[in-house]
Amino acid sequence: MMQFTETLPPPLHQTTKPCQNFATSVNPNQTHRTRPWPGFPAPNKPLGTFGDANCMEQLLVRCANAIETNDATLSQQILWVLNNIAPSDGDSNQRLTCGFLRALIARAAKTGTCKMLTAALSNSNITIQTHKFSIIELASFVDLTPWHRFGFTAANAAILEAVEGYSTVHIIDLSLTHCMQIPTLIDAMAGKLEGPPVVKLTIAGATEDVPPMLDLSYEELGIKLVNFARSRNIILEFTVIPSSSLDGFSSLIEHLKLQTLVHGNETNEALVINCHMMLHYIPEETPTTPFSFEDATPRALFLKQIRSLNPTLVVLADEDADFTSTNLVCRLRSAFNYLWIPYDIVDTFLPKGSKQRQWYEADICWKIENVIAQEGSHRVERLEPRSRWVHRMRNTGFRGVGFGEDMVAEVKGMLDEHAAGWGLKKEEDDLVLTWKGHNVVFATAWVPT
Amino acid sequence: MKRNHIITSDVTGKAKKTMWDEEDAGVDELLAVLGYKVKSSDMVDVAQKIEHLEGVLGNDDGLSLLASDSVHYNPSDLSSWLESMISELNPTTQPPIIDDSFMNIANTAIAAGNPPPSEVDSTSAFVDDLQAIPGNAIYPPTKKVKSSSSSAGASASSSYNPNPNPNPVVIVDSQENGIRLVHTLMACAEAVQQENLALAENLVKQAGMLAVSQAGAMRKVATYFVEALARRIYRLSPKPPQDSPAFQDLLQMHFYETCPYLKFAHFTANQAILEAFAGKKKVHVIDFSMKQGMQWPALMQALALRPGGPPTFRLTGIGPPSGDNTDHLQEVGWKLAQLADTIHVEFEYRGFVAESLADLEPAMLDLREDEVVAVNSVFELHQLLARPGAVEKVLSAVKEMKPEILTVVEQEANHNGLVFLERFTESLHYYSTLFDSLESSGNGGGGVDGGAISPASNQDKIMSEVYLGKQICNVVACEGPDRVERHETLTQWKSRLDSAGFEAVHLGSNAFKQASMLLALFAGGDGYRVEENNGCLMLGWHTRSLITTSAWKIR
Repeated sequence: MMQFTETLPPPLHQTTKPCQNFATSVNPNQTHRTRPWPGFPAPNKPLGTFGDANCMEQLLVRCANAIETNDATLSQQILWVLNNIAPSDGDSNQRLTCGFLRALIARAAKTGTCKMLTAALSNSNITIQTHKFSIIELASFVDLTPWHRFGFTAANAAILEAVEGYSTVHIIDLSLTHCMQIPTLIDAMAGKLEGPPVVKLTIAGATEDVPPMLDLSYEELGIKLVNFARSRNIILEFTVIPSSSLDGFSSLIEHLKLQTLVHGNETNEALVINCHMMLHYIPEETPTTPFSFEDATPRALFLKQIRSLNPTLVVLADEDADFTSTNLVCRLRSAFNYLWIPYDIVDTFLPKGSKQRQWYEADICWKIENVIAQEGSHRVERLEPRSRWVHRMRNTGFRGVGFGEDMVAEVKGMLDEHAAGWGLKKEEDDLVLTWKGHNVVFATAWVPT
Repeated sequence: MKRNHIITSDVTGKAKKTMWDEEDAGVDELLAVLGYKVKSSDMVDVAQKIEHLEGVLGNDDGLSLLASDSVHYNPSDLSSWLESMISELNPTTQPPIIDDSFMNIANTAIAAGNPPPSEVDSTSAFVDDLQAIPGNAIYPPTKKVKSSSSSAGASASSSYNPNPNPNPVVIVDSQENGIRLVHTLMACAEAVQQENLALAENLVKQAGMLAVSQAGAMRKVATYFVEALARRIYRLSPKPPQDSPAFQDLLQMHFYETCPYLKFAHFTANQAILEAFAGKKKVHVIDFSMKQGMQWPALMQALALRPGGPPTFRLTGIGPPSGDNTDHLQEVGWKLAQLADTIHVEFEYRGFVAESLADLEPAMLDLREDEVVAVNSVFELHQLLARPGAVEKVLSAVKEMKPEILTVVEQEANHNGLVFLERFTESLHYYSTLFDSLESSGNGGGGVDGGAISPASNQDKIMSEVYLGKQICNVVACEGPDRVERHETLTQWKSRLDSAGFEAVHLGSNAFKQASMLLALFAGGDGYRVEENNGCLMLGWHTRSLITTSAWKIR
């Protein structure tokens, strides 16, 4: 027999709080359930509408919380929703969210025991295929935006000025971009310096697979660089020291110390340490008290070591964001509020469906996955903001040297070659690259005090 | 044998008393049938002991120890018989870790009414059994059973039979027993079919004994089939005592958490509904399987965030009468309304109580011209096959609702054949596979791999088994309108829906992706498989498909 529910008032139009319309016989506390109702907890502030990056972020945060608290049902449901609102070929917010969605799935799947992740998700492209670049591809890739060029230009300008008068220049190139900065530097040296010096280039030959990845060995790369230098009448000595960021490049440091002991201060040699987006791979836990230079972390130790080498110049360029929180949700927020930038940028200079765009976004996804889904020594993307690096350097006995007007002009000139939206600002002694006003990359130069 | 009288009793005290008053008061009737005399109040204890024994027998030492002397000594007193075996095998082990989840479940399920006195007794008997066993070296008296607070301080009167300490029986080669068990069950079913009840009775007893010798999923599923066969043979009750819908919902909720089947159903059906609603401004979902409404939050959230903003969302929930005085359909609606408010979705809800879907008249649903309708049915349609003409009536009613899409999730099995033996065989395979998958899954993702399962997820698993056990009982022991678990395969449903004027809508790659993602997130999910079959999606365990989601529209 058919009955209407007895307490039902006429159909409710829920534009205001619904509970007011119910008959009093309904007691919301009376429930047979012995556990919380599965579903979405009421947020503190209501979610925005579709396309709002804020609301995407909130959903991601809630999902991360659900995963961290082992609320499988809630995390699965939110992932279901995210799958629908964040397609991998949508606008920049959607693609950004999609990257985070994949990372959260990877993280959630880890906590289960399912080893079929790759097979089960082969349909949805979860496994991130990053591209292995050829030298030509990489060269043109890094030239596409000021992301790396900014650091190159500022660093090269500072280096040129610092090595004036030295007969030998020893450059330690700790760079994510596999020496892409060097040809321009050699060119500049050949052109501007009177009596071009002998250039010794040492790289760490780090063995981690961090994008962008090169399909060339460092030995082969070295040969190309030596030949290029020769074509500019510069003698280039190329050395690869296998060393890993995981232990603060200790092998490299040992090698350099040995060199100093052996050769001492005989030669008129400038030691330049060029750090381009590499130092943030050296492990550093979030300090309980900020910036204690007594930390025996690999990162602090590394800085101490290079200080002890008494370099002529240290240039440090890196991404201006904080990915070091041990709390997943904090990291997620930080990463979300920084990595929207590369997705936003790519819309301005690469067409949809272009291979380069795929490579570019795959690399960003790799980063996101690393920050969100990895832990411990696997989580290598540990960016620190400019202010913290500055503090570190100062505490290690370095003094910041600014960038002169000429250098600034040069950087500005470089920026003009790219789309509108890029900007440049000065923070204390340092230069910061901006996109639509947001900090992207910083460049700093240091000498020992 | 996990027979949980406490759990299977009805929530209200009245029905429970009726059950206790049947046959031999106080003795578990089904075990009595099989030759054992066990107090119903001791049942949980016995179950624990069997598990402990099982664990102990698992290693070779135990078996060889047993093999030396084999004397079958008064097995009818099941409790002490087990006790003796345990103490023989492992004089130095700690007492079994008491899984008091049963007690907690029982207590919670009866939270509404007063706990019947017999339940309090069983708790105290529990404690006393352990303490009364001779030799405190074996069971140190300080071990306190953690159980419901009210009965923990019960009197120390011992209701325990003194342990005669016999030599234990030998149980050899459980794998051989496994095969014999299946054969015995089949033979029993055949005997039932041929109405050779004397033979059937014999066989069911044998099967019962063999079942106890098994471990894990096999033991559990066999036990349920033995019980169901026994019910059928002895015509024990016209039908098993009817559980309240609240209790059924509770069981289904645990099933929802433990394994991916229901989540798969929701994820795939919702994907089809979401896609069918694309671009529509006013939508109306008619849910034949409202239960706790767990399917809808995710859909509502996705609708809230879709391009162009959310539609106005109307939900009509159909469910059976509550039995008690609460209006549970309304409560669910209220909760969903709260959610809708926070995500800015205009929401309207109506709950309809109906004994059967066949009672539904489209005119009562206030169908509106400008609304797009989706009808959703998860594990509901097969129940209609118990009454002739019911499914046709419902499908024709659905047509009158003019749905944009009809989503159907059903078990992928034919448990509705005319021949009892066929049904029995089919369901034995089906539920064996299901129990297998339950055994292998941990909790639904986010658990510690391999190691200890949390008490909460253990409780989930047990409740899921009870949930499935009831289905088994229905398939095997019931007939006529009482037999509602009349599962049919996709092919059979397709032909019904075809004749009713529906045609299939392909579910699409998004639904497949969602299902795959779900499985990847499921702990212990290695054995699950998603398959596409003519536009429908099937979730199975290893090679056996177990449930199917399909979508339909009017031709």
